[in-house]
Amino acid sequence: MADVVLANLQKSFGRVKVVHGVDLHIGDGEFVVFVGPSGCGKSTLLRLIAGLEDITAGDLFIGGERVNDRVPAKRGIAMVFQSYALYPHMSVYDNMAFGLELAKSSKSEIDTKVREAARLLQIDALLDRKPRQLSGGQRQRVAIGRAIVRDPKVFLFDEPLSNLDAALRVQTRIEIAKLHTDTRATMIYVTHDQVEAMTLADRIVVLNAGRIEQVGTPLELYHRPANLFVAGFIGSPQMNFIPCPVAGVGPDEVTVSLPSGGTLALPLSPEGVRPGDPVTLGVRPDHVRVSGQGSFTGRVELVEELGENHLLYVDVGQGRRLTLREPGDARHAVGATVSLELDRESCHLFTQSGEALRSRADSASPAPSSPDPASRAA
Amino acid sequence: MIMSGAVAGAGAPVQVTGRGRRSSLTRSRIRAAWLFIAPSLIVVALIAGWPLARTIWFSFTDASLDALGDYAFIGLENYLAHDDGGWFGILAEPDWWHSVWNTLWFTAVSVSLETVLGMVVALILNAAFPGRGLMRAIILIPWAIPTIVSAKMWNWMLHDQFGVINDLLLRLGLIAAPVPWTANADTALWAAVMVDVWKHTSFMALLILAALQMLPQDIYEAAKVDGVSPVRVFVRVTLPLIKPALLVAVIFRSLDALRVFDLIYVLTSNAKETASMSVYARQQLVDFQEVGLGSAAATLIFLIIALVVVITLAAGRVRLGEDPR
Amino acid sequence: MKRLARAGFWLLVIAIALFALFPFYYAVVSSFRSGSDLFTIAYRPERFDLSNYVAVFERQPFGRNILNSVLVSGSVVALSLGLGITAAYAFGRIAFRGRSLLLMTILAVSMFPQVAVLAGMFELIRAFGLYNTLPGLILANLMLTLPFTVWVLTTFMRELPKEIEEAAFVDGATPWIVVRRVFLPLMAPAAVTTGLLAFIVSWNEFLFALTFTLTNERRTVPPAIALMSGSTAYELPWGTIMAGSVVVTIPIIALVLVFQRKIVAGLTAGAVKG
Repeated sequence: MADVVLANLQKSFGRVKVVHGVDLHIGDGEFVVFVGPSGCGKSTLLRLIAGLEDITAGDLFIGGERVNDRVPAKRGIAMVFQSYALYPHMSVYDNMAFGLELAKSSKSEIDTKVREAARLLQIDALLDRKPRQLSGGQRQRVAIGRAIVRDPKVFLFDEPLSNLDAALRVQTRIEIAKLHTDTRATMIYVTHDQVEAMTLADRIVVLNAGRIEQVGTPLELYHRPANLFVAGFIGSPQMNFIPCPVAGVGPDEVTVSLPSGGTLALPLSPEGVRPGDPVTLGVRPDHVRVSGQGSFTGRVELVEELGENHLLYVDVGQGRRLTLREPGDARHAVGATVSLELDRESCHLFTQSGEALRSRADSASPAPSSPDPASRAA
Repeated sequence: MIMSGAVAGAGAPVQVTGRGRRSSLTRSRIRAAWLFIAPSLIVVALIAGWPLARTIWFSFTDASLDALGDYAFIGLENYLAHDDGGWFGILAEPDWWHSVWNTLWFTAVSVSLETVLGMVVALILNAAFPGRGLMRAIILIPWAIPTIVSAKMWNWMLHDQFGVINDLLLRLGLIAAPVPWTANADTALWAAVMVDVWKHTSFMALLILAALQMLPQDIYEAAKVDGVSPVRVFVRVTLPLIKPALLVAVIFRSLDALRVFDLIYVLTSNAKETASMSVYARQQLVDFQEVGLGSAAATLIFLIIALVVVITLAAGRVRLGEDPR
Repeated sequence: MKRLARAGFWLLVIAIALFALFPFYYAVVSSFRSGSDLFTIAYRPERFDLSNYVAVFERQPFGRNILNSVLVSGSVVALSLGLGITAAYAFGRIAFRGRSLLLMTILAVSMFPQVAVLAGMFELIRAFGLYNTLPGLILANLMLTLPFTVWVLTTFMRELPKEIEEAAFVDGATPWIVVRRVFLPLMAPAAVTTGLLAFIVSWNEFLFALTFTLTNERRTVPPAIALMSGSTAYELPWGTIMAGSVVVTIPIIALVLVFQRKIVAGLTAGAVKG
């Protein structure tokens, strides 16, 4: 078992820089998920950790040892690939045994480990099959089994579920979570699916354009996004954004003028904003309510019934649309005029540079963040 | 960004250092790459590079085949020399220029015919019909038969007295008297073109077919729905789309035709009037033992083909630059 | 109208098939006729007279020629594939400085006119004491097959999934183990394709075989057929030549019929050689 420390890790392909000095400390036994839009560098970052790409600059420590110059097999990692990457000409057994065989383990040791992993993943009946005779879900289990038998300090997953259908994805997700509980191994998981990220992660790392936007627990990211990007990326449907100017600031309060007329006082620290500054008001669909006398009035454009809840898309004029989610079945039809109220406590404000204003609760004590990697690295 | 700067003291070199630049995986792979290509490179250098260099060297000497080790450097005399008021050397040799002309004519005519016929065959094979696989195998047979064997088979078919071609044409009333196809310089090259077309059309057809089968089917369905005539679709859609593949096929065939040897050597019995460049060079080299002159001719052939390659590569690069894909 | 188009289509198909097959058919018909029969034209086989087939093996060492061709082509294929597969891995999957330049050089060599190396190759083969021997021919033929073997195998190698190789590296494989244990089995179909093409090229090679051999016993099939002569200098033994042609063509036709898909894949993969 080991922690993983990324210290100013950089990666360039030729002149194109794809990872810009990433600092991150992943604790021993932690489950960390990298999310971000495609091309954000999350897979590259994982491959840097695996040793499949050269580190351009910076240092990588696994279990306290600098591993920049080590081949993948000597880093104490195992990797599960998106396409499973099973050896097509080898049986399931040989697929799992290949790494141990190369490590010159004894025949009996290999046999014990392979059979144990197969039992754990319930693929013991498939050991003599070739990968092409397996279903997608079974292949993914073999790929995970191949990782398990290596007995790695760190598991790396590169979008392991994206080739599976929806039902299998949920099932395998649960199994990976269980694997983490059972083994207590450090796991690093790359995905573009935020449901996977939210459900699996101890901490989520949101990446954008080769930089870390925010690191935090799933709920931290959801409730206290550090910036506009994270706010827009986490949560579905997306957070509503309303550009508006600051009307006034008080101690622990910022008042904004709404485009629909009227003002809204938000319990946020006014640090860094002055009256007249343009800001962006952000509010999640769950924090907008239909009410008698709301801040916005608009016409219902579209209703999406989801069973346990429903979504309303409301045109509030000036080409702007607010999305809201309410429990149960919709009580408003398309074309109806509704008045909307925002939950003041759950609103976010973002400065022009995209930084979030801290809420009163945060400004009292700084947001919990990962420990300082420098102490480990040194 | 979190904690940037916090690790500045962690000893992380921001600038690339020689040692930390490549992981040992990359280093071991690059080392392996050179080890893996070394045997092939050595063999290619030994059996292609070295002989080519020696041939070029011989072209500046008066070497002869029976005493290859005993030669003198004579500069460009094998190529062109002025002596006693007359010009000598390959470049002053009408037979050489005749062979150049024969080769260029043979290449132009046979490759053009193969392109047109290959297109027809490819379009047929692109249609779904029972027996398509068999048909594809059938057209491959002429390609696979050794050139010498095909030349002999056609030689026999084109025999002036007992040949089946003359018999067929006489029966159909297309000719009045048997034609000595391969003995007559005028018809012999046409005969060579015919055999080459017979042999190589399938190569052209298969390359075009591969390009045709990669075309997206929905374009054709859309054209069908819009009621565009098949001829128009072919000219406006198919041809432009397969043009790159077609060019590759034409270039490969042309390079092959420019060095033609077996076919002409056997079909026209090594005759001077119908010699190709390669036949001419080998004749100087082996039959007349004139290694210097033969090497000069061979070097010229190499230069001509290299020129064609360079021109096509340059043209190809320009086209690639324009291609938005 | 539609029926007419259909009839025209099938007519064209039949015409092409006839054009492709007739020379071989006619060679078979002629090979069963001997003596003065050959001086009349027959479109259909009349009787199965095997005397030409007996003659082709009796009057010259044709069996020996076939064996030579098999030995030369077999060795050339084995050597080309053996050398080519590791080179193809390096070219196809490893980014190293000078890769594309070297690959272009290799491709350029496969376009060399044979005659351009003839004098130098002759000297080389004599220097090694390989004149008029099979190893000499094997060496010379490698110039024709090795570059395009590397080229075609490289294009196939590029298509193999990257993640399988990476999984092997994570498992602790060295590049050599990746080639031997992972890619070699996966490349087997491509190797068969490329090997077939190399075999056909070598089997059909004429210029080197003609120039670097002296005696009939050392010749491969193509020069043996080209240089077959009859009892008199003026009359070529057409019946025997056709019999010999049929004998060496049948295995090639069998190969084509069995492996046509693989051959087509190989031809179009590298678009190399005719």
